[in-house]
Amino acid sequence: MPVSGNKTAPSEKPASQFWHSAAQLRHVREVNVLVALIIVGALISLFTPYFLTTNNLMGVSRAFSLTAIMSIGMVMVIITGGIDLSVGSAMGLAGLVTALCFDAGFSSAISVSAGIGVGMVFGVTNGLLITAIGLPPFIATLGTLSIGRGLMYMITHGVPVTPDTPESFSVLGQGYLGPVPVPVVIMLVLMVVFALIMTRTRFGRHVYATGGNEHAARLSGVKTDRVKLAVYTLSSTIAALAGIIGFSRYLSAEPASGFGSELDVIAAAAIGGASLAGGVGSVTGAVVGAALVGVIANGIVLLNINTYAQQAITGGVILIAVSLDVIRNKLKGGSG
Amino acid sequence: MRTLTKIASAAMVSIAMVTGTVAFAQDITIAVVPKVAVPFFDDCNTGAQEAATALGVKYQWVVPQNTQGATQVKIVEDLISRNVSGIAISVNEPKSVEGIIKQAMDAGIKVVTFDSDSANSGRSLYIGTINKQAGVTMGNSMAEALGGKGKIAIVTGQLGASNLNERIDGVKEALAAFPDIEIVATEGTEDDLAKAVSVTEALLRGNPDLSGIFGMSQVGGPAVAKVLAQKEFADRKGVIKVFAFDDLPDTIQGVKDGYINGIMVQRPVTMGRLAVESLVAQIKGEAGELADIDTGVTVVNADNIGDYTK
Repeated sequence: MPVSGNKTAPSEKPASQFWHSAAQLRHVREVNVLVALIIVGALISLFTPYFLTTNNLMGVSRAFSLTAIMSIGMVMVIITGGIDLSVGSAMGLAGLVTALCFDAGFSSAISVSAGIGVGMVFGVTNGLLITAIGLPPFIATLGTLSIGRGLMYMITHGVPVTPDTPESFSVLGQGYLGPVPVPVVIMLVLMVVFALIMTRTRFGRHVYATGGNEHAARLSGVKTDRVKLAVYTLSSTIAALAGIIGFSRYLSAEPASGFGSELDVIAAAAIGGASLAGGVGSVTGAVVGAALVGVIANGIVLLNINTYAQQAITGGVILIAVSLDVIRNKLKGGSG
Repeated sequence: MRTLTKIASAAMVSIAMVTGTVAFAQDITIAVVPKVAVPFFDDCNTGAQEAATALGVKYQWVVPQNTQGATQVKIVEDLISRNVSGIAISVNEPKSVEGIIKQAMDAGIKVVTFDSDSANSGRSLYIGTINKQAGVTMGNSMAEALGGKGKIAIVTGQLGASNLNERIDGVKEALAAFPDIEIVATEGTEDDLAKAVSVTEALLRGNPDLSGIFGMSQVGGPAVAKVLAQKEFADRKGVIKVFAFDDLPDTIQGVKDGYINGIMVQRPVTMGRLAVESLVAQIKGEAGELADIDTGVTVVNADNIGDYTK
């Protein structure tokens, strides 16, 4: 993997060295998870002819695209050694605010901006609670998660908001680019952009350095508080975008939209190789992780597997896939 | 004359003390406690308030701030100390309110449950949808729409929700009489619209010969209608018979657009009205034999969508 660590300034050395080895490990992980994804897909298609159809594959991709999009923001937070439990609330509230703006007669541009704004407010709040006040990320984002949910119930009183929206807006969630659903296109674009940011830019290096060894990173000149503020803001803003896409898809802002999705998103990042201890993880890995979970969920329904067994099977497949990956790494003599 | 009044009032006080009840309508206070503030309970409030006005009793609507069992326990405690005459409650956690409902009954307050029961609490009776019965109605509606033959799937909400499982039991009981109807899948959705949509899509793709879908919880109707409206499934519209629960706007729209054949609509206004009427009758000592009341469901379809009552 071409790692662009060669231009690092001398003052950043301790951090960048760490980052260098982490990048290689991370590369192995995402390839392994991709292999697991292909194996699971092949197994499913052995037993049902309906899996490997364009409609189904595009449908599955659209179904996991929102989780995958949110996992792109989440993995950056996790790499800094943090966690963002509030993504589901940011997603739901952003979709709801967008819906309310449409309901009040605002244009698409204003409604979408308002939704994105909600995400930014969420993220900046999280970031300041963590950096300025010094709350642990788990507590800070648990608090904003709860506030977000509460606001949604207060606003909706439990009733979905279903405003009239212009046709052009529904393209975001329901449209296609050729055979590919627009949410999947957005997912892929974000994946490429943020994978490049994380592997090719100074900011990306600083994110890895912050989570790898915060003290060392700070000594070598990384402004870790600024890095954290940035990743939490990105995470919530990306989650808000997912919420707006979701609203565009269903044209109904549900009072419970996004609730519980933080677990799926964190799981996607972790399956894709991110370490909750920080310093390790990758954007593409997180997206592939979300894809693996999405494909398993789809296969289980296609195969008419007993609904009560589904969650256990999903958990089992994930454990097997990730264990094989970790064991392979150990056999290769890789660390961790 | 004055003595006579004194004697009369003394007699009434003693009657009141002996029977432990208050005889005059205007002295009766009925408190109604919903689960939480959602539109379903606004309808209950409407029915209860109308009944209270008609009967001339005082009425309180006490809404819990969250769905925790402890919150309702606190509310009932307060109502006991305020010495209301009757309480109707839709229970969030059946177990947690058992003790406090017993305490209220011991204090001479009449308690009924509506919509959601706490069967072991000693409440005088339960008024609401008997979910299993609603499921039977739903199953029979599907059998009729299919002409007694076909493969169907169930899209439910939380797998552990007892009200949904009772509905499913009812559906299965009704369909047992139709050997040519086969339930090919039961899928959980965690009551999440996005999950319900992807599950329904996969069901349709994985079962090209599917002829019916049940939406057991309130996300089912909107999800199935949205999926069937997609271009990919255009040829399944009308082929797939759909029966759903609860008249949310998107579900109603699904009926109007021809994606949904029928909605089982509960009767919250009736629940509220009957709860207050039953409590007042019990307080006045005019209630006869006490038995649970099934308020039933209305099957809303294209024919009656404009003018059904709750």
